[in-house]
Formats: sequence, C-alpha cells, structure tokens
Amino acid sequence: MSKFFKVILKNLIKGPSTIKYPFEDSPAPEKLRGKIAHNSNLCVACHLCEYVCAGGAIKIQESEDKKGIDFVVWHNTCTFCGLCEYYCPTKAIHLTNDYHTAHLQEDKYNYVEKTFVKKQPCICCGKPIVPLALSMVEQIYGKEGDARGLSKMCPQCRRKILWKGACLNYERRGNE
Amino acid sequence: MAEFLQNIVKKSPWIYRINAGSCNGCDVEMATTALIPRYDVERLGCRYCGSPKHADIVLISGPVTAVVREKVLRVYDEIPNPKVVVAVGICPISGGVFRESYSIATQLDAYIPVDVNVPGCPPRPQAIIDGIAMAIEIWRKKF
Amino acid sequence: MNSAEFLVNVLIFPGGLFAIMLGLFLTGLDRKIYARLQRRVGPPICQPCIDMVKLSQKETVIPKTANYTVFRLAPLLGFAGMLAAIAVIPIAGIYSGLYQSGDLLVILYLLSTPALALVIGASASGSAYSSIGLSREISIMLAYEIPMLMVFFTVAMRVGMELGGTAIFSLSSIVDFQLSKGPLLLDLPMLPAFLAFLMCIPGTLGVVPFDIPEAETEITEGPLLEYSGMGLAMFKLTSGLKTLVLSALTIALFFPTELGSFWLVNILWFIFKCVVVMLFTNTLIRATRARMRIDQAYKFYLLVPTSLALMSLVLTVLSFRI
Repeated sequence: MSKFFKVILKNLIKGPSTIKYPFEDSPAPEKLRGKIAHNSNLCVACHLCEYVCAGGAIKIQESEDKKGIDFVVWHNTCTFCGLCEYYCPTKAIHLTNDYHTAHLQEDKYNYVEKTFVKKQPCICCGKPIVPLALSMVEQIYGKEGDARGLSKMCPQCRRKILWKGACLNYERRGNE
Repeated sequence: MAEFLQNIVKKSPWIYRINAGSCNGCDVEMATTALIPRYDVERLGCRYCGSPKHADIVLISGPVTAVVREKVLRVYDEIPNPKVVVAVGICPISGGVFRESYSIATQLDAYIPVDVNVPGCPPRPQAIIDGIAMAIEIWRKKF
Repeated sequence: MNSAEFLVNVLIFPGGLFAIMLGLFLTGLDRKIYARLQRRVGPPICQPCIDMVKLSQKETVIPKTANYTVFRLAPLLGFAGMLAAIAVIPIAGIYSGLYQSGDLLVILYLLSTPALALVIGASASGSAYSSIGLSREISIMLAYEIPMLMVFFTVAMRVGMELGGTAIFSLSSIVDFQLSKGPLLLDLPMLPAFLAFLMCIPGTLGVVPFDIPEAETEITEGPLLEYSGMGLAMFKLTSGLKTLVLSALTIALFFPTELGSFWLVNILWFIFKCVVVMLFTNTLIRATRARMRIDQAYKFYLLVPTSLALMSLVLTVLSFRI
C-alpha cells in the first residue's frame, strides 16, 4: 500500500511527461520508415519494386505518348515495409521520415507520389530507351566508365556491337 | 450563437473504436494515443467511451471482412448524429495487404461515408492525433 | 419558512445552481488531479461543463425494446432527489437546514434515489448488458447501506445522549451541538465511525474499486449503455451532485466548523473542506486501487466498515452508561 503512495508522490513532483503534440513539435527519428520518395533520374524501370511491394501500391506503366514511363505510388496502400528500398538496384526509391499522413476523404485518390522517367534515344538506332543510371554503369563497367558508350544503346544495338567485337577478336586470334 | 456553441462543443469529442476484422496493430496504436501519459488525448477533451450511444468520433480499423460486415453496420447505426468517421490504417481505406483475399469484398467507404483517412501500417500516434484534430474540425461544422 | 425562501433554497442556494456548479467543479478537479497523479496533463477543470453542453446538443436514440416513457423519465428521478438532498443539509455558519427534526432519515432515503433511478432506467432499456449492470447495482447497494445506517445511528446516539436521553435524528441539532462543543472528529470513540463512513463513499459514488455496475471493460458501461444526449447528461450531473451531497454530509456529521462570521469566508472554507474530503475518498483511492469483484466487495463491506461502525457505537453507548 505504501509503495503506491511513494509512486504518486514521485509523479506529482516530476510533473507531466506529455509531448503536447499539435502545439509542440514532435520530431521523427532519422531512420523512421515514412512516406515514399522517388528519384526519376536514378530509376531504370526494372519493375523490381512493383514485384516485391506488399500492398500493391506501386504501378509502373508506359505513358500514353510513349515519351517516358509513369511511376505512381498510392500512399493509401503502402505498408511502409521498406522492401522496395531494399531491392532497388539503383536506390532510386527510398523512404523518408515523414509521418504526417492524415488527409481528408476528398483527397483520397490524389494522395500519390507521381514521377516521370524520361526516355532517351539510343545513340546507334535512335529508338527511345530508358537510360542506365550512373551507379549501374559503374557497377557493370568499372571505374573508367564505359568508353564505347554501351550504356547509352538499346539492348539490340548493344548485342550487335558486342558480337562484332567478338568476331573481330576471334578473327585476330585466328590470324595469329 | 451557433458559432459560440460550435466553439464550446468542439472541446469535448468522445471517441469510440470499432475493430472491423483488423490485425490489432492499429488498435494497439489507438489505445496508446489515449491512455499513456506520453500522447495524452484527454487534454484535448477527448475520452474513450464504452458504448456507441455515447460516441461522437468513430475510429474504424481493419478491412471489412464478410463475417463482421453486418455487425459494423449495425453498431454504426446506433451512434447518434452528428458523427464523424475516421478510417485508421490502410486496411479500411483500400484493403491494405489483404486486398485480394477471399473474405473482403470492397473497402469501407462503399458501406458507410468516411470523413478522414489516416494511412500507415500502423500510423504513428501523432498522425492519429492529426486525424482526430481534422475530424473535430469537420464535426463542429455539423452542429 | 415561507415559500419564497423555500424556492430560493432549493433552486439557487444551496440547491440548484450553486450545487450544480460546485458539483461539476468537484468532478473536474477530480479528473485533473487524477491525471496529474499519472504524469499526464489532464483536461481543463471546466471540462464537465463542456461535456454537459455537448451532450445536450446530441440527438437521443431510443432502442426498439425500450419502454418509452420510463426510459425518458428515469434520469430525472435521481436528479430531483439529489437537488432536494442538498437543500436539506445545513452548512455551518451560513445556512441552517430546511427541517428541524427527522431530516437525517430523509437524507438516508434521498441518498438511494440516484441508484434507484439507474436501476429503473436500466431495466427500461431492455438490453442484456443493462440487466447485468442493474443486478450488480442492487447488490452493491445492499452492501454499503448497512455501515452507512450504522454510522448515522452512532452520530445520532452520541449527540442525543449528551443532550437528552435518546437519539436525535436531526442534522441541524447535530450541527448546532458541534458548533458549541467542538467537532465530533476530535472525539476518540467517533473516529472508527468516521473511517467507516469514508469507506462507504466510493461504493455509493460508483468509483474504482467499487465501480462494479459501471464496469467499462466488462459490460460496456452497464446501466448507462442505451442512454445518449440529454438523458446521459442528467445521469452525469446526478453523479456530480452526489459527490457534493456526500462530502457535505461528511462535513455536517463530523466537522462543521466556522471561521468567523463573514459569509464569504465560511463558503470558501466549506468548499475547501469539500475538496479535501473528495480528494481522499475519490481521487487517491481511484488512482491506486484496481476494481474488485462483487463477492470481494461484499466481503469487504460486511466486514470492515460494519465492524468499525459497530465498535464506535458500542464505545459511545458504554462511555455514557459508565
């Protein structure tokens, strides 16, 4: 019985421990998994995030004028699990620490993060392709970057150039 | 006079929770918003009440499963007007991760009119307080 | 007394307006201090007033299985009983009670009207949870009335034997006796009776650890389940008034003192004593105890306060016969 009274006395002396939230600021911890942010300069539209998304919140679709790719995340189905951030090869999608997610019913279907990944023409044939991000170029071709411009070609031209190079190497070796 | 009454009345909304088949994650967050000293909602005048007849703001969590759908509609009808509905978590808003399941037909706002959405799985208690503050603003205009 | 004075006493001071404001103030203070004891900020002290205003603006939903007339009239029964009860209790130095003899028994009857109103209202609701709540309410009412009756009898005997020969059941003569001879609290045989009365108060008010009829987590607010809007406001108001009546009764029975003769000082001293009694019986107990089961509450009430009151009665009678 007396233990309780000691606790009460201590509580009265220490005062309230409330964070008066709307009137006082309540900062989020740095590693908090909050809303999604997408960087379209790094995205290669590999569809991995769409495949692993737990709530089915990500949609990657070619835009109507075929000039790029629409990337849409609907926050109302996002579970904030972080799987897309874990599996993204270029770290184009990441979770911020913004937790202020309450909104009115009228904004329900507008509560999205929408970005546009622009396509660039292939330097060989001119077909519009999604370019490789810089981090992927470094990963594949090493520190010197790619001297032959392979990362700016569409897959068919790339295969052609590589095959030609393979033939050349074969001929050269055969001749020696 | 109506303005004066509205200003008084908005300081005492009573909250009632309905669990429409949820995993209890959002229920735990809703309980911590009121009861623990850290995020006290009682200083805003809110109070958790035990009966739907005493409620003003309804917090609904969980996708509306087939078993619980009628009961949620019955309890919703018992709440006296004016009332505001807040959908907590992503499950009532869009079905969440359970969207294509065998027991879930549609999302909550096909059955009852929802006013405020608070997505998150589960949303942070501060985000729920934000949602309740928005709901109070809508509620006082209904008087 | 003429009818104008009677109306003022019942409707404005000390019944009616003064009692409603003081009752709501006590309830608000209790909630604020309870929150501070738990390291929370707590609602503002005028929160119960705001709750009443809001409840009066909501619509009333009546269930289909309810008896329409009784359902709507039941809250008024307790409210009327409590308003009448406050007018009967004398306040030291300001107000002598409405009646000169027999008013202790009148108070005893009036104190049971809020519980009866709850029971009648709950049975008129026609819901299963309400019927569980009302049977628990009746059970606990039987338990706490016994020690309360014994304490009243002890005080009446004490005052009566000193003045005449038999017990005097009149609050005004009890208060006058204490104003001239000193408060009964300082008299050693009466101390167990005081403790017994303090233990009966949480049961009457429906406060943890005895809030069995209104157990929120078990039977979803029991008797009050089907009430909304104005009826609920009346019940909450009655509960606040009951706090005031019981505090005022404790003060009138055991320590009615007055500081000087200026009326404002006496009123403030009365309010201060009310707050102290309410703190010790309501807030502190609510913050440190858990809810008891009905059989544990029964055992407690039939053993502890009853034996204390009995001890006090025996000591009083013996001190006069010897």
